[in-house]
Amino acid sequence: MTDRVPVLEFRGVNTHYGPVHILKDVDIEIFAGEIVCLLGGNASGKTTTLKAVLGMVTPTTGDVLLDGEVVSEAPTSYRVEHGVSMVPENRRLFKRMTVLENLEIGAYLRRDTENLADDLEQIFELFPRVKERLSQKAGTLSGGEQQMVAVGRALMAKPKVLLMDEPSMGLAPVLVSQNFEIIEQINEAGTTVFVVEQNANMALSIADRGYVLQTGQIVLADTAENLLADPQMRQAYLGEMD
Amino acid sequence: MALLEIEGLTKQFGGLLALGGVDFHIEEGEIVSVIGPNGAGKTTFFNTISGMFPPDEGEILFDGRDVAGLTPDQITKRGIARTFQNVRLFPNMTVLENIMVAQHSRTHKGVFSALFQTPGFRKEEQEIRDRARDVLGFFGTRLIGYRFDQPAFMLSYANRRRLEIARAMGTQPRLLLLDEPTAGMNPRETAELTGLIRKLRDERGFTIVVIEHEMKVVRDVSDRVVVLDHGVQIAEGSYDEVSTNEDVIEAYLGRPAESH
Amino acid sequence: MIELAATSEIDTRKVLRLGAIAGITAVFVAAIGMVEVFDTRSVIDPVLSLGYLSLAWIPLLFGYRVTYEPVLEGMEPPRKGPHNLIGGAAAGLVGGAVLGAFLLVIDVIDIREILLNVTPELVGILGFDQSAAVGATILMALGAGLGAIGGMFHVLSDRWRRAVSSAFVWVLIIGFIELVLGNVFDGLAVGFLDDLVYSENRGVTIGAAVVIAVVVIFMHFQFTGRASRVRERFQALPENKRRSTGFMVATALMAVGLLAPSVFGPFLNEVLATVGLFMLMGLGLNVVVGFAGLLDLGYVAFFAVGAYTTAVFTSPLTPGDFSPELAFFSALPFVIIMAAIAGIIVGTPVIRMRGDYLAIVTLAFGEIARLVFQADWLKGTFGGAQGILRIGEGMIVTLFGYVLAGVGIVVGIIGFLRWRSARADDDASSAKTAGVWIGLGTVATVAGLLFPDFASWTVTGIDSEAVFRLVLIFVALAAFVSWRLQDSRIGRAWMAMREDEQVAETMGINVVTAKLLAFIIGAILAALGGALFAVKIGTIFPSSFKIVQSIIILVVVIVGGMGSLRGVAVGALVLIGVLGGPTQPGMLREFQEFKLLIYGVLLVYMMLQRPEGLAPSARRSQELHGDELKQDVWLGKDQEGED
Repeated sequence: MTDRVPVLEFRGVNTHYGPVHILKDVDIEIFAGEIVCLLGGNASGKTTTLKAVLGMVTPTTGDVLLDGEVVSEAPTSYRVEHGVSMVPENRRLFKRMTVLENLEIGAYLRRDTENLADDLEQIFELFPRVKERLSQKAGTLSGGEQQMVAVGRALMAKPKVLLMDEPSMGLAPVLVSQNFEIIEQINEAGTTVFVVEQNANMALSIADRGYVLQTGQIVLADTAENLLADPQMRQAYLGEMD
Repeated sequence: MALLEIEGLTKQFGGLLALGGVDFHIEEGEIVSVIGPNGAGKTTFFNTISGMFPPDEGEILFDGRDVAGLTPDQITKRGIARTFQNVRLFPNMTVLENIMVAQHSRTHKGVFSALFQTPGFRKEEQEIRDRARDVLGFFGTRLIGYRFDQPAFMLSYANRRRLEIARAMGTQPRLLLLDEPTAGMNPRETAELTGLIRKLRDERGFTIVVIEHEMKVVRDVSDRVVVLDHGVQIAEGSYDEVSTNEDVIEAYLGRPAESH
Repeated sequence: MIELAATSEIDTRKVLRLGAIAGITAVFVAAIGMVEVFDTRSVIDPVLSLGYLSLAWIPLLFGYRVTYEPVLEGMEPPRKGPHNLIGGAAAGLVGGAVLGAFLLVIDVIDIREILLNVTPELVGILGFDQSAAVGATILMALGAGLGAIGGMFHVLSDRWRRAVSSAFVWVLIIGFIELVLGNVFDGLAVGFLDDLVYSENRGVTIGAAVVIAVVVIFMHFQFTGRASRVRERFQALPENKRRSTGFMVATALMAVGLLAPSVFGPFLNEVLATVGLFMLMGLGLNVVVGFAGLLDLGYVAFFAVGAYTTAVFTSPLTPGDFSPELAFFSALPFVIIMAAIAGIIVGTPVIRMRGDYLAIVTLAFGEIARLVFQADWLKGTFGGAQGILRIGEGMIVTLFGYVLAGVGIVVGIIGFLRWRSARADDDASSAKTAGVWIGLGTVATVAGLLFPDFASWTVTGIDSEAVFRLVLIFVALAAFVSWRLQDSRIGRAWMAMREDEQVAETMGINVVTAKLLAFIIGAILAALGGALFAVKIGTIFPSSFKIVQSIIILVVVIVGGMGSLRGVAVGALVLIGVLGGPTQPGMLREFQEFKLLIYGVLLVYMMLQRPEGLAPSARRSQELHGDELKQDVWLGKDQEGED
């Protein structure tokens, strides 16, 4: 166990915006094959954590590691090339481009272009409905289909870890459950997933482990079952009033 | 007579039919929820009523008069106000100014009275200020005191949502359109806001249409629920009727809503 | 040991990088000819010429930057110590080496064909008239020394750092403004001070420099914080007291401003009148861009409309038959009407445009205006490329009686309005005061109309003192208008529109009216600027109204701080006053050639480092640095459910 190298790791990361201290000594480890969620309310530092993974924020101290390699100072494109990609909140598809074009953009940085066709096939296997819509404009798809395209686009980069930003935000109940099904599905197909969520119930129901972020600090880190049972957790994040 | 009466409301974007002949009505003092999957046309429904784009077909009667095709400012003046799904405050204006500016269509003083600060101008300014304070007071201690002079972007997320409702109240409307007022709020904040929506009607007398995804909120506030899918109404009725309707479960809920 | 500990804290890569940038900057400054052109001008005689100064600031700045570390919350504060000096010196040394290498190269190879400013004279200046090798060594030594001084600023306490830097700055400023200060000394009849402070070579003497530095440092320790304490006390006053105090201060400033030109001398008056013109236009553009958020790149069109209207209505030499030959003040109402019409003409078609599109279309309008005035088919009215001469016949006549009558009418109207509202409130004492206003207004109006010639005030365009006063009055008026509008229902509507036009509309704001109003007010202020410009110069040509004018006004607003009245004033003073307008000289006439370059550099620097401008409105600086202010969210003071 101990010699396993995490796919994504934060080692004592501190970040600042201007003089303001945002992330405070954040430690996160995500191993291959896991679904890990990061929970926290608004202004807890969730977005900054994602930005630090992607390289849009550079840590003041501490390191971000991708597959054991320190990438704290590397630009976003380097990190995407070396194994992270993100499904943004609200999907953010290129609405006027076709589904196929959206998927192809996902593979923008890949050098092994000869494998693209195979990877597309894999995505079609995962989401047969995407294949039926290839030449349609992404903006005309239904919400659930758009989510599939967004995930497919991210998968086209062949990430070692897939970041999901608020997959339940502002969605109809049926879409929320569809989304989490998609996450489980791609995880079973071998992708490591890092979910950043406010909806703790939903996220913990599919995750292996979870971290809880509060004003920039990790205040809880445990397996999903333990977190779901944690009384402090139930009160603050799971919506149980007492 | 219904306060708002809509018939055959149709709106197309390119080839996409966003609203395909929606009929809708709301009585004075009612709270009606509009639910439906993403892309069902709920926000388009609000945008069309509030004049952000004119309907292709259909009638919108507000208080017995047709308002279809009026500009947003004219519709606001008639007494319809709205909030936005993705919180669109005036972020660099202070909390108080956000409400003051909302009273634009209820006030009149122009350039010359502003230049010479005529007594009428000062009186009106004072009234605008007082009314803004009163509206903000509706939210308890959350938006008053030192918050008055803070720019809106400094507020917490939940407070921004509250300020948006306050700003809509500032236009002194009869009908409030709330677009996902609890989105992104944590369970505790959601519960609090649910109570406030009822209070808006009971204490302030607003008639309210609310778009919502959180079924608990829908259950607790609605007198009536309307379900849209693909731009048409697929169900209407009390919460209990709608939440057990097969079509609604299939299109929207995914599984039967938990009964409490 | 100490040395070792210190050097371990220096980031070698950063030293090399910043040193190289410093060196390249210095080479650039030298190669474009700045050093040579400025060398003739002494700042501190005989040790520092403007030429050397144009290089010396580089190692100072980079020497400071190289060991700069921000103070961060929750982290150890950056350590101070010898490494600051060593790092600075090292960066300075690298920079000096780069410039030294450049010197060695140009000493051997003549590259004048490519860079025509790289002359043998430049070699002489850079090499301190020694051989190139010796010169390069001196450059490196100086670079290291200045870099170390730059680094030293870290070691000083905050108070001393500020005191020493203001001493530096003041010595330089006084060195720069020799001509202006000389005139002022003469105006105040203390001309002997001139000989005391300045040498024959125009720079301050070393003795004077030392005295100035000591005085500034002393003053700094004596008076720091006074200003903010005064402001606090002012803010603590009750509302009505604050109003009356503010009014008194404004009146006093205005009086000083009106008296000052008799002391300033012709050169400074000329410069300040230009500054005033740009302030006037800046204030107008600020309404359009800063308040209402409409990026207008063709603003010069309104300036031209004002100038041409004045010209046609006042000049006896108008090209056409229409030549009323009015006095300046009689022509003003027409200027205002024409400006309002122009505002509507430009405003109407662009009402539904936003951002980039608006900017592009207004840019085109600016050019169209110039071409219309230049066009042959309107030659009969505007004179084509020959322009219009003898505007205002060099005379601007102010009939004091009319002014009095105007004031009387305004006072009377205000009195009437007050009386009406007092009557509505059944407030007898207010009604009585209002009655007095009405009475005074009536008397003034009647007296003014009966004796229009009373205390007539004649001004000629070449009388710099009078022009300055006139400009000052207009600027004060424009500032007053902007200030009152900003904090009114209209001002709030503009602000909301700037933030989010669509939402503003759903909040009940008629954006068509609001935008047109902004365009009209902006146009009127610019046209007044144009009117003053026309009578000041006496002759106008279409070529006076090029795009560059629009851009410079915009730069004034941006550098000063968009949406801020103080900002426009500061922007105009710094850019136009110090560097000069597009064609007019500023206080530093030596900068003439490099003016646009410095504008550009300043603009880039501002956009990167201080996008809110030099004197921003509180709102604007929060907007741009807002995330840093969201502290109470971050520190958990705003945790939901806990209050």
